[in-house]
Amino acid sequence: METFEEFVKRILTILFWFLLISPLIIFPVLFLLVPLLGIDVTLANEILTATIDPFKAIKLADRYGVGPSSTFFKVAAFPGFTFAALVATLVILYERKLMAKAQLRVGPLYAGRFEGVLQPIADLFKLLGKELVVPEKADKTFFWAAPILSLGLGAALLTVIPLSPTTYIARSEFSLLIPFAIIGFSPLVVLIAAWASSNKFAFIGGLRALHQLAAYEIPMLLSILGIVILTGSFDLMKIVEAQKDMWFIFPQFLAAIIFYITILSELERVPFDLPEAETEIVSGWLTEYTGMHFGLLQLGVYVKFYVLALLFTLLFLGGWNGPAFLPPIVWLLTKLFFVITMIIFPRAVLPRLRIDQLIRIGWAWLIALSFINLFIAVIESSLGVI
Amino acid sequence: MPSNLDTENQLVKSLTDQFKNKIKTEYVKHNRIKISTNQDNLKSLATSVKELGFEQVISHGGTDYPDNNVFRIEYHIICVSKKKLRSIMFSIMTEISKDTPEIETLIDIFPSAEFHEQETYENFGITFTGHPRMEKLLLPEDWDDIPPLRKDYILPGRG
Amino acid sequence: MQNAAMNIEDKGGDQLVLHVGPQHPGSGHFRIIVTVDGDYIVGAKPDPGYVHRGAEKMAEYRDYIQNIPHLERPVIIDATGVTLPYVLTAEKIIDVEAPDRAQYIRMIMAELNRIISHLYWLGIYGIFLGHSTMFMWPMGDRELFIDLAESIGGTRVTFSYVVPGGVRNDMPTNFKERALKTFDYFEKRIEEYKKIFFNNPLMSARTEGIGTMDKKDAIRLGITGSNLRACGIDSDTRKDETYCLYDRVDFEIPTRKEGDSYARCIVRLEELQQSMNIMKQVFDLIEPGPIKQVIGGVMRGEPGEAFVRTEAARGTMFYHIVSDGEKNPYRVKISVPSFRNLIGMTHLLVGSRLADMPAIYWSLDYWPVEADR
Repeated sequence: METFEEFVKRILTILFWFLLISPLIIFPVLFLLVPLLGIDVTLANEILTATIDPFKAIKLADRYGVGPSSTFFKVAAFPGFTFAALVATLVILYERKLMAKAQLRVGPLYAGRFEGVLQPIADLFKLLGKELVVPEKADKTFFWAAPILSLGLGAALLTVIPLSPTTYIARSEFSLLIPFAIIGFSPLVVLIAAWASSNKFAFIGGLRALHQLAAYEIPMLLSILGIVILTGSFDLMKIVEAQKDMWFIFPQFLAAIIFYITILSELERVPFDLPEAETEIVSGWLTEYTGMHFGLLQLGVYVKFYVLALLFTLLFLGGWNGPAFLPPIVWLLTKLFFVITMIIFPRAVLPRLRIDQLIRIGWAWLIALSFINLFIAVIESSLGVI
Repeated sequence: MPSNLDTENQLVKSLTDQFKNKIKTEYVKHNRIKISTNQDNLKSLATSVKELGFEQVISHGGTDYPDNNVFRIEYHIICVSKKKLRSIMFSIMTEISKDTPEIETLIDIFPSAEFHEQETYENFGITFTGHPRMEKLLLPEDWDDIPPLRKDYILPGRG
Repeated sequence: MQNAAMNIEDKGGDQLVLHVGPQHPGSGHFRIIVTVDGDYIVGAKPDPGYVHRGAEKMAEYRDYIQNIPHLERPVIIDATGVTLPYVLTAEKIIDVEAPDRAQYIRMIMAELNRIISHLYWLGIYGIFLGHSTMFMWPMGDRELFIDLAESIGGTRVTFSYVVPGGVRNDMPTNFKERALKTFDYFEKRIEEYKKIFFNNPLMSARTEGIGTMDKKDAIRLGITGSNLRACGIDSDTRKDETYCLYDRVDFEIPTRKEGDSYARCIVRLEELQQSMNIMKQVFDLIEPGPIKQVIGGVMRGEPGEAFVRTEAARGTMFYHIVSDGEKNPYRVKISVPSFRNLIGMTHLLVGSRLADMPAIYWSLDYWPVEADR
């Protein structure tokens, strides 16, 4: 049995020899092999200087089409997937800390020097180290597909949503419709995961997710229709620009409430966390997922969380509009932070609803209210409020 | 605390009037009445006790007496709804032979005895005729030793 | 499709058999086999016994003192609630009586344990309804009462504190001040519990009218404790058949007429207040004096029998001890409240929705370890 000290010693020894030997391999490759193959010799210098000089690194990346202004960078890093995943992990940490404070606990405390800030990284390594258990009777193809689909779905949502007038991946005249078209697919991922698990509790969870879809999908779309009537556009850019003087939360207060409730339902958060109601159906559709499978499913859900919070900010809170002393993106992120808090907080104070109660809320209340909201929008539009 | 002995004596008297010498009053103490009868009269005695107002079986259990070759079966019955009878615990007792451990169930009179009788069945091997679920409740399904609460079952390591 | 292996039992319809437990976050050491038709439960068969250890048989091999920690084990959450009736029964067999001061300290311990047990229940009920804050708060406040009980009994949960003839040791001198401080704090917390949980419209939507038990059914099925009082019957062994010195204190029996899950919750919440009221009165009544009647040698019972019932946290705890004059009891019969409430669970679950199962199951305060013994 290896003691901890021996373990550390072993790792340090390996590291020492690696650092000692690696230049012996890297330098010959850079200075001998690269010129032999006919590549420009200055490149080797640039690579080495780029590792310590960020500006040179950006220049180098630009030359090969992966710089900050390239499409690849936009999709992969900012404002695309990496940024969203970063926000999602921060949301997980923030949620845990906020819940802990509400419940008179301390929450994550030990990972990282300050208030457990490195806890998401610790969690990531824990999930990476776990065995991927695939049930014997599971439908293997779809069981593996569901986590990837979940994450892919979250990433696809990011394509057309702008973060500021200049920060976006792609522009579209229908940038409001596209995210909702993609979101409509998300219960199917849940159902694929549930059915492929071949587990009764997962199956019930999947069916509940479909019921939930029926309850919230229609009011969600109807609630944003009011804004479309007011602005006459499906373009998020134009919608945000239309809020220069007044945020839409004031003329469309009812729609904001409906949209907020349907966000909670879409994200399967308390009080609508029926598909993964722990004490009733174990973990619902997540029951059979372990390790990084589970991690990817959760990451997909939290990327969706980020996107929906962002949509709420853009639609109702005026997006990046704000006094000019701060750049637009800072205003956006500030509002986003507020919306995320609002979405997290019900978990601390509300119990879970039942599926019949959810459907009653969705059909009897939210749909009726969103039609009333449509009338309000029509009246406001004809009176020229906006 | 006023003594309930008058009430208790009245209760016992009404039962002895009805059953004459078929029942035997073991004792009437403060808040405790115990009446024994033979195996055949247990059901009619239980019916009469229920008519007196005692409505719940709080406990039912057996005791093994290998010397006399009998099981002693007791039902402890209480009343929760009538203030006057609440303090009294009424026990009815009977003895059945270990050779034919069979007795009629009381769950049609006291539904609350259902799981208790099931427990007595698995712990003593006493069959309650008329009970809908004479099967193992607490013991493992594959228990193949003698029923554990009999005195001839010795705990492993305690022999 | 490979998924034909999913094994949905064909019951001649769209019915699905679910094994809830023993490895289920909402079951405990206990299985309940439910058959669901759509969202409705059409059959429920409880399967206890996963933690059955034969406590009654093992008690026959131990003497009266050894049996105290042994019989405490099934209900460590309510340790005094389960040892007190045993000790009272043993006292009747051995024929000793505890002095007044010991009786009062026993009452304090019993009521502290009732609060500890109820708070544990409340925490689990919160998480069963998906309310995580209501899980954390009572669990945190429970520690205060555990600290109080620890200062008397010496350990956190398994005190083995009550012994035949009295109690093991006297309570600390500053106990009254500490306890009153805790009570003051906790009375404020009860109001906060009400704000966040009991008066929460979503909580009442989940529990009101769910698992309604009729008064007649409750009596017929032998339901006991808070579950019985929630049906409108003010039966409490502490008043029905006084033990210790409960006749010298004045307290109310909280009751509700509705008999649903919410009524069972609110009755338990009010019992917390009543327990504190009892303890406050005991602090005024208690006088210095001996705490134990010392019994020399090995305790031997007179040949005979005794049965005692007391009000434990979950309902009426019943002990029946038969003695043949030896140092070990001849037969110990324990009738625990959870075991008697189990029959009500089947009764309530059939016809309700699957999502209501946790709301009904834990509102009965069923403690699998206690039921299995």
